[in-house]
Amino acid sequence: MRKFRSDWSQGDREQYQGRNYFSEEPHTSYSWRGNRGQEDVVTSPLKKKDSSDSPMAMAVEFKTYVDQACRAAEEFVNIYYETMDKRRRALTRLYLDKATLIWNGNVVTGLEALANFFDMLPSSEFQVNMLDCQPVHEQATQAQTTVLVVTSGTVKFDGNKQHYFNQNFLLTAQTTANNTVWKIASDCFRFQDWAAI
Amino acid sequence: METRYCGKDEWEDAGVQPRWIQEHTDKVNPLQRRTRSWSFYRRRRNFSSEHVTSQQQQDSGDVPMDSQARYAPYAVPSRHQRSSFQKQDQIHINMEIKQKPPERRMERGRQNETVGSWFKIIIPFGIKYDEKWLLNLIQKQCSVPFIPVEFHYEKMQAQFFVENANIACALKNVNGKIFNEDNEKISIFVEPCDTPRSVQKALKSEKVEQMKPVFPSWFPGDLMICDIGMTWNHRNGMPASLHIHPGIRSKLSSLDQSNKKPYVVHSLSTIMENASHTKNWNLSNIEVKSAGEMDKGQQLEPGRMGADRTAMCTTSPDKSTNISTILELFPKLLSLDGQEKPSGSKCAIEVPKYLPMCKGSFFGSEELKSLILQFLQQYYLIHDYGDRQGLLCAYHEEACFSLTIPFRLKDPGPSSMCAYFKNSRNMKKLKDPDLRFQLLKHTKCDIVQALCGLPKTQHDFRSFMVDMWFQTETMLCFSVNGVFKEIEGRYPGCVRAFSRTFITTPATSSSFCIVNDKLFVSDFSPEKTASALHPKA
Repeated sequence: MRKFRSDWSQGDREQYQGRNYFSEEPHTSYSWRGNRGQEDVVTSPLKKKDSSDSPMAMAVEFKTYVDQACRAAEEFVNIYYETMDKRRRALTRLYLDKATLIWNGNVVTGLEALANFFDMLPSSEFQVNMLDCQPVHEQATQAQTTVLVVTSGTVKFDGNKQHYFNQNFLLTAQTTANNTVWKIASDCFRFQDWAAI
Repeated sequence: METRYCGKDEWEDAGVQPRWIQEHTDKVNPLQRRTRSWSFYRRRRNFSSEHVTSQQQQDSGDVPMDSQARYAPYAVPSRHQRSSFQKQDQIHINMEIKQKPPERRMERGRQNETVGSWFKIIIPFGIKYDEKWLLNLIQKQCSVPFIPVEFHYEKMQAQFFVENANIACALKNVNGKIFNEDNEKISIFVEPCDTPRSVQKALKSEKVEQMKPVFPSWFPGDLMICDIGMTWNHRNGMPASLHIHPGIRSKLSSLDQSNKKPYVVHSLSTIMENASHTKNWNLSNIEVKSAGEMDKGQQLEPGRMGADRTAMCTTSPDKSTNISTILELFPKLLSLDGQEKPSGSKCAIEVPKYLPMCKGSFFGSEELKSLILQFLQQYYLIHDYGDRQGLLCAYHEEACFSLTIPFRLKDPGPSSMCAYFKNSRNMKKLKDPDLRFQLLKHTKCDIVQALCGLPKTQHDFRSFMVDMWFQTETMLCFSVNGVFKEIEGRYPGCVRAFSRTFITTPATSSSFCIVNDKLFVSDFSPEKTASALHPKA
C-alpha cells in the first residue's frame, strides 16, 4: 500500500451529463416522489454541473447531489422491495437490459434471465432495517450519474427459514429534460448466514 | 498462456503495489527441452474454433469491437479474453517424456546396414498435419526417396515406418529442417522397431526369416520418445477441452485410449467441460457445449458489454439465458401430478419453494480474484496492524465513506456498538438531510480520520465472502462479508459481522484507489463466535 503514489490523477472534471442512452417512454411525473403503484423510480431532473463553479458552489452542489441520491435511493428501495414482495413479475422493469444480479454467488445476466430467475424464486417477505447510499464518483462512472445503494435486513422466502441479508445496488440515472429515471445496473445479494462458516 | 500473478509471497510484502495489469507472455516459445517435461505453446490455426459461442456473441451484437482495444485496466486484454471468439487460440500442453530405451532391440542390434531393418519415424504433434502434406514436406528435404509404410496417427504423433537404415538416417537428418505453416520447426524422431504388422503378414506366407534389426553407428541410445502423459493444469482449475479439426477427427479412432489420463488443453475458448467427463470422451463428439455453467462454480470471464463507449458494462455473463439453465440452478420441481417437470417448461402450476444453492465468493476471473484479494489483504494489514493513516493513499481525494449499524443495537451492554453508533448513517431512521450529509465522509482526510476513530480490529480473512459485482474499464465494485474481532476499546474480544462495499477506480497505470466505501457492522451471534473466528495466521 505504501507504493500508492500521492500524485494519482483525479481525472478530468467532466461535464456532469445525464446520459440518455436508453430509450424510454417519456414520463409525465415531475414529482421526485414518483408515482406509487408504478414500478419506475423517477426523480426530478438532475442539476447540470458547471465546471466554472466556485469551490463554494461546488460544495453546495455536492450536497445537492447527495440529497438527490438519497431521495432516489429511498424511493427506489421502497418500490423495489414492495415490487419484489407483491408484484414480482414487474421487478425486471427496475433493471437495465444488461443488468447483472449476483445472488448468493449465482450470476444472472440480462432481463430475460432475470425474469426467469425472479419467477423461480419463492415468494418473499422482505424487512429492510438498514439503508444507506452514496453517490458514486464520476471518475469511476465516467460522468454517468450513479448511486450506490446498500440495504440490510431480513427476508423470508416461502418454504425457507428466515435469513439476514445484505444487498448492494448500483442505480444509474437516465435523464431526460423532464425527469430522471433510475434503473439498476447491477445487484448483489447475499444472505448473511454465519452458520455457513 | 502464461499469466503472471502476484503470488502469495508478494502479498506478504505490504509495500508491493497491487497489480491489476497482468503480465502476459504470449510469445510462442520455441521447443524447449527440459529434464522431465516439455511445455510449449502452439498456435492453433489448424484447429478451427467452430463452436465458440460466447455470451458476448449472443447478446451484445452492438459491442463495438474497437472497445476491446481500449485501455482496460480491469478487463482482461482482448486477446486473452476467454469469452471472446478468438481466431487464434493457444494450447498449452504439458508433456512428460519417458525414456524408453529400445531394450531388446539394442541387445540384438548390430551395426551393419541391411535391408529388412525397420525404423519407426515419429513426428510429434503430427496429428495436426495432413498426411500427404506432411509426407511431401519431409520428402522435399529428405536426401533419399522413401516409402512410408503404415502411416498413422498415434496419440498426438504422426508415425510411419521405413525400411532401410539409410533411409532412416536420411529422415533423421530432416529433423529441424522442415517447418509448418506457422514457421515452427517440425521434429522428426527415428527409432528402430520390429517389422510392421502389415509387412509381417505379407511376408508370412513367403516364410522369409525376420532379419534382425541393426543399428547404424549414429543411432542414439537415449532416444527420447514423446509420451503424452497429461497432467491437470491446476493453475486456475479449468477443466480440459479439446478442439479437433474436422478433417482429422476421423483419424482419432486410432487414439490410444488405454492412457486414461485426461488431456489438458489450456485453451482460451469458453467451452468448458467438467474434468471428470473426459475419460468418457466420445471421439465423434469432441465439441462440448456448456450449459448451466453457473452452478459449477467455474470461472467466468468478465463480459464487456455496452451500447456505447460510455455505457456501463456488466459483470461476467452467464452462459445461457434460457429457462433450462435457470431451472438448473434450482432443484428439480415436481408438478402436482407427481411427474417430473420437463425442462424448458415454465413453472406455472407449482409454487416454487426452492432457493438456488448459495455459492462461495464470486470474482469473475482469476485476474480479478488476485487483484481483489491482494487489495483486501493490503488494506486490512494496514487497517488492523498498522497506522490507519496509512490508508490515506488508498482513497481518492474525493472518496465517500459511510458506516451503518442496525438501528436496534444502541443499548449499552456487553456487546454494545456505541463506538459505531455516533457515525452510523442509516437512512431508514435518519431523515434529516443535513445530518445525512454530515455523516457521509467526503474527503480522504475525513474518511481516514473517521476510520482512526473506530475500534481497533482484527479481521478474519477466512471468513471473507467476496462478490465482485460490477466492472468497467474505470470502475470495480466488490463487496466483502465477514467477521472481525475488536481487540481494543471497551469490549475487546467482541466479534462483529461486517459487510463492506468498495468501489475503486484506476489511479495510475498500475494502481487503483477507493472512491466509495460503505461499511455495515452488526452484532454477531454469540454461539457462533467460537467456531467462526480464527486467529489470523
